[in-house]
Amino acid sequence: MQNNHQKEHLYKILVIGDLGVGKTSIIKRYVHHNFSPNYRATIGVDFALKVLNWDQETVRLQLWDIAGQERFGNMTRVYYREAMGAFIVFDVTRPASFEAITKWKEDLDSKLTLANGKHVATVLLANKCDQGRDVLTNNGIKMEQFCQDNGFVGWFETSAKENINIDEAANCLVKHIIASENDMLQSEVPDTITPQLEKDKGGTCSSCFRSQ
Amino acid sequence: QYKPLTPCAASSESPPFVCVYAAGEHAALHRQRSLPHRPPVIPLVARMADQNTSGTPAMTEREASRLDKFKQLLAGPNTDLEELRKLSWSGIPRQVRPITWKLLSGYLPANAERRDSVLQRKRQEYFGFIQQYYDSRNDEHHQDTYRQIHIDIPRTNPLIPLFQQASVQEIFERILFIWAIRHPASGYVQGINDLVTPFFVVYVFEYIEEEVENFDVSSLKEEALRNIEADSFWCMSKLLDGIQDNYTFAQPGIQRKVKALEELVSRIDESVHRHMQQYEVEYLQFAFRWMNNLLMRELPLRCTIRLWDTYQAEPEGFSHFHLYVCAAFLVRWRKEILEERDFQGLMILLQNLPTMHWGNEEVSVLLAEAYRLKFAFADAPNHYKR
Repeated sequence: MQNNHQKEHLYKILVIGDLGVGKTSIIKRYVHHNFSPNYRATIGVDFALKVLNWDQETVRLQLWDIAGQERFGNMTRVYYREAMGAFIVFDVTRPASFEAITKWKEDLDSKLTLANGKHVATVLLANKCDQGRDVLTNNGIKMEQFCQDNGFVGWFETSAKENINIDEAANCLVKHIIASENDMLQSEVPDTITPQLEKDKGGTCSSCFRSQ
Repeated sequence: QYKPLTPCAASSESPPFVCVYAAGEHAALHRQRSLPHRPPVIPLVARMADQNTSGTPAMTEREASRLDKFKQLLAGPNTDLEELRKLSWSGIPRQVRPITWKLLSGYLPANAERRDSVLQRKRQEYFGFIQQYYDSRNDEHHQDTYRQIHIDIPRTNPLIPLFQQASVQEIFERILFIWAIRHPASGYVQGINDLVTPFFVVYVFEYIEEEVENFDVSSLKEEALRNIEADSFWCMSKLLDGIQDNYTFAQPGIQRKVKALEELVSRIDESVHRHMQQYEVEYLQFAFRWMNNLLMRELPLRCTIRLWDTYQAEPEGFSHFHLYVCAAFLVRWRKEILEERDFQGLMILLQNLPTMHWGNEEVSVLLAEAYRLKFAFADAPNHYKR
């Protein structure tokens, strides 16, 4: 019989956002624990793998680092397939990259839904926070509102360079992916009595946010 | 959803790793190994450009005789381009590469007398474009294009000091911006920035003897630098003219070539093809970049320059022959591919193929195999349709 402790979860996670916002740097930081200012522009998609121990189970994350230029936009449908979660990234020093967030979210939601018809869990990353916070309003509440309005499960100020909040953001996303997966598994068995899960209000999760 | 697999010994100490589950083997046998990493430093450009003397300071007799043949051919009042193509196919000596590339690309006329005036006119024309258009880079309808180029230039060849010089980066920005606004059907597409590099490096060599990697371009006369810029622009334009549908909306050229690559590979190496199908690797996931950047991301720059000797010698080299080179390149790794036993392992292999030590010899083998494939399949397209 299958031992629960040997379960393995495999999740495909997309990393999207405008060109030059730091998607590749975030993934390299997360997977290889380092940073370089010298990454070349991603062409098409780059692939990386991260393995986590999660409640004594193994979680393998397939990270799909998707090129940010609009010209490649018609390719995204191919890359999005079967993803379970996403990061959408902008650069806090470049307002235009923040304005593009809703476009990326719409692109994602229009091309990808879970088996139960819901959208995949998506976390918003305000990257390069070590370089100032020009775009951010310095006001977490507004960002929380933005996340609620746009269907993000959480947001983080991140810096791939200084290693700020990358692991935290990933943990938040994984947690939501597992929750939505459980959700789907339960809905597949209609005869089972399911205890009422705590409803996510508007999709945000307070534990996802930085404590300060 | 849940796959009952033995968990991998996930260790945070050794970051880049893959776990490979050998089918039917004991859990204890699963192996952990390092990834084939990209080289931390891109191999020296100098050695790259100096293909025919690499390793040996003195030219071999064969190399010297090849150089003589080139010189003879180039010395006449009318260069026989067909002969030049034949000679160039197996590589162009560094000393004559700039002029040979300009002739083969059609930038320079075969008639030697006309060359100076053509060069003068084209260079003037290019700097006319700069005067006419370059100020518009901050206009509303061009600023997105310029901004994208501006973000990409510092990260084009980021590890080669030559390309970190402000004046070189400005040259690249001008070349790309002018090309982009003069080709609105495609505009600037990421990857095109890479395609300027080989021309620029080769044309710098027209003016210097020393290594190019750390070369300080401010030691060049201003006129020389302007010539390099204009010549690079026009030769890049000629190249892109032949593959423009790689970069127009929906990138139909790339879609078609990736599809053709898949068909070709399914004919020439069914086990590789089946293996990738089995693990649900799609060709688009790795070969998109092969087409979009003409393998420049997969090979050291010195190999790209050698490859382009042949692409310019071969009719439709960039637009057609490249497909066969890609097929030969993929099959070249069949052993490594067949050893991978999951999607992750295959993707990481295919996106990080260990070519960092490649030089002339490996490229020559690759080209010979590509030529064989083309000969076998190109004129009989049904051969590679399943």
